[in-house]
Amino acid sequence: MIETIYVEEAIKNHPRTKFILKNFKKSRIILIDKYGEIFNKRNQNFRIQKSNPCLILAHKKDGFVLPAPEGFGIGSSKNFYFSHMYNCIYDCRYCFLQGMYSSANYVIFVNFEDFDIAIKKIIEKNINTKVTFFSGYDCDSLALENVTGFAKHILSIFKTYTQIEIEFRTKSIQKQPFLSLKPMKNVILAYSLMPKLMSNSLDNKAPSISKRISVISELASKGWKIGLRFDPLIHGENWKELYKELLENIYNNISIDCLHSVSFGTLRFPKRMFKDIFKLYPNEPLFTSPLSLNNNMISYDIEIEEEMTSYCKNLSLRYINEDKIFKCSI
Amino acid sequence: MNNINIKKISIRFVIALKEEAQVILNYFRLKLVNEKTIYPIYKNEEETHWLIISGIGRSNAAASTAYLYSYSKASIYTSWINIGIAGSDKGNYGDLYLVDKISTYQRKKSTYPSTMPKSTLPKMHLFTSDIPISDYTSYELIDMEGSAFFDIASKLTSKEFICLMKVISDGPKNDIKEITKSKISNLIKVNLYKIIDVVSYYERTSEAEFLIIDKPELFNDIKSKWHFSATQSFKLESLLRRIKIFCNKKDIEKLIKNCETSNSVINVLNLKIKNNLVNWSKF
Repeated sequence: MIETIYVEEAIKNHPRTKFILKNFKKSRIILIDKYGEIFNKRNQNFRIQKSNPCLILAHKKDGFVLPAPEGFGIGSSKNFYFSHMYNCIYDCRYCFLQGMYSSANYVIFVNFEDFDIAIKKIIEKNINTKVTFFSGYDCDSLALENVTGFAKHILSIFKTYTQIEIEFRTKSIQKQPFLSLKPMKNVILAYSLMPKLMSNSLDNKAPSISKRISVISELASKGWKIGLRFDPLIHGENWKELYKELLENIYNNISIDCLHSVSFGTLRFPKRMFKDIFKLYPNEPLFTSPLSLNNNMISYDIEIEEEMTSYCKNLSLRYINEDKIFKCSI
Repeated sequence: MNNINIKKISIRFVIALKEEAQVILNYFRLKLVNEKTIYPIYKNEEETHWLIISGIGRSNAAASTAYLYSYSKASIYTSWINIGIAGSDKGNYGDLYLVDKISTYQRKKSTYPSTMPKSTLPKMHLFTSDIPISDYTSYELIDMEGSAFFDIASKLTSKEFICLMKVISDGPKNDIKEITKSKISNLIKVNLYKIIDVVSYYERTSEAEFLIIDKPELFNDIKSKWHFSATQSFKLESLLRRIKIFCNKKDIEKLIKNCETSNSVINVLNLKIKNNLVNWSKF
């Protein structure tokens, strides 16, 4: 239940604003000038806000599509990302969004059509290049799909440009709009996963691993391309057994033909971000892990990272070819 | 006070008139401080709850909030609460409202206080004016202090620790000239239990924040035994916070018992974490 929704005065009559507000009939609507008046201002307590976040409906002015950070790709020579939303409804303790903004409120940009224009421009500029777009870098791409309809909207572009890939990265079990559409070969539904035991402690408010696997299995059986994102890999007691169980469970329960890619990423926080997150949640078990400062990043020791990545990769190679495996290094 | 360990709670009330404050003073057993102060200041015996009578107007509200902060040595986890009467023609006479938007003549931009989550109390937009307003049609709530209180309190803590509550005292059907001291006291009195409910939330918020930012249990003991520089102290605090999740006090004491220097304390604690395999089934 979202108690308060701030709406930028300029978009109060936008059809998408009205569409979104239909879902929140009991919420208090407060008109504002610009979303910056509420979002990311100083003197906000992220942790308290996160327990009862507000929603902000806004108009995005620029920066619709941005080059993805190096190490984010899955095989394309050019990678871009876009976010129709800032912040996430989940509360995962390793997520960089905890240290990204000082506000935990959700911002949804309603001018989807401006994203369309920016995406098409990039496609036209790179018509002979292998390009992948990533939806949901500053949010979970599908978690609020039933409210925003963004994925459904943006898919229409990729129906036209079938050589251009789009990845929706998510932890949600949102099956629409995919179940009601014909599978598209250039669309990757990428799920973040980790062993259940770790997820129970770290993936706060997110759907359980078993529910995610069940949705993956269902969408794969319909022919949608699936991405598996084991990012971050989490260390701890019996980690080998836990990851073995998880990987085997997934590979044995989905159609391998539908696997687009599998990527492994290690736990990493920029030093400054770690400081902020640790300050917010000093009692988190994640921070009792053997983390140390390496190249200005807080991470597991390199030996642990390498052991975990190669162990999971070798296990995966029993089921899939090496060309489907990627290392996520941001 | 809901069985809360009161030593960890920190509440500051800023209230314009003694008549508005009287019920709060009685309920929390606040007594006038025993020395001369610029504004009248009250506190309870445990010094967890403090109240200042600001007087009317924005200047008084701003000055008294800053004064109380300094005088009472308020903390980053202190909750700041403004309670008072307000004019309105939108709400019902005598009802209590939480404020979630504030505007003034002086500033183009509004400000947006947070409100207590899951409250059944209604919320309204407050307009703070420097002069009494008799035309109630343009605004939901009208007072003479709220914006200044919020502006200053926002500099002292996060907005999640600030609360404004208003009881409707006048409007088109209740002439402002008919407000009396006893009417004001009664308006607050009939809403006391709703007010207490809100204050309880801010007590819990304050306590929860205190528990998070408070130094780890062994921090001061260890610091008294070895000499730590500022950087080392920071490292020690961070290590103790991490270790206490999987190691009890006795084990930590045992670990560092034979350390000769502060550096070796840090090294030993570091090594303990380096070798820790998180048992995820426990969390």
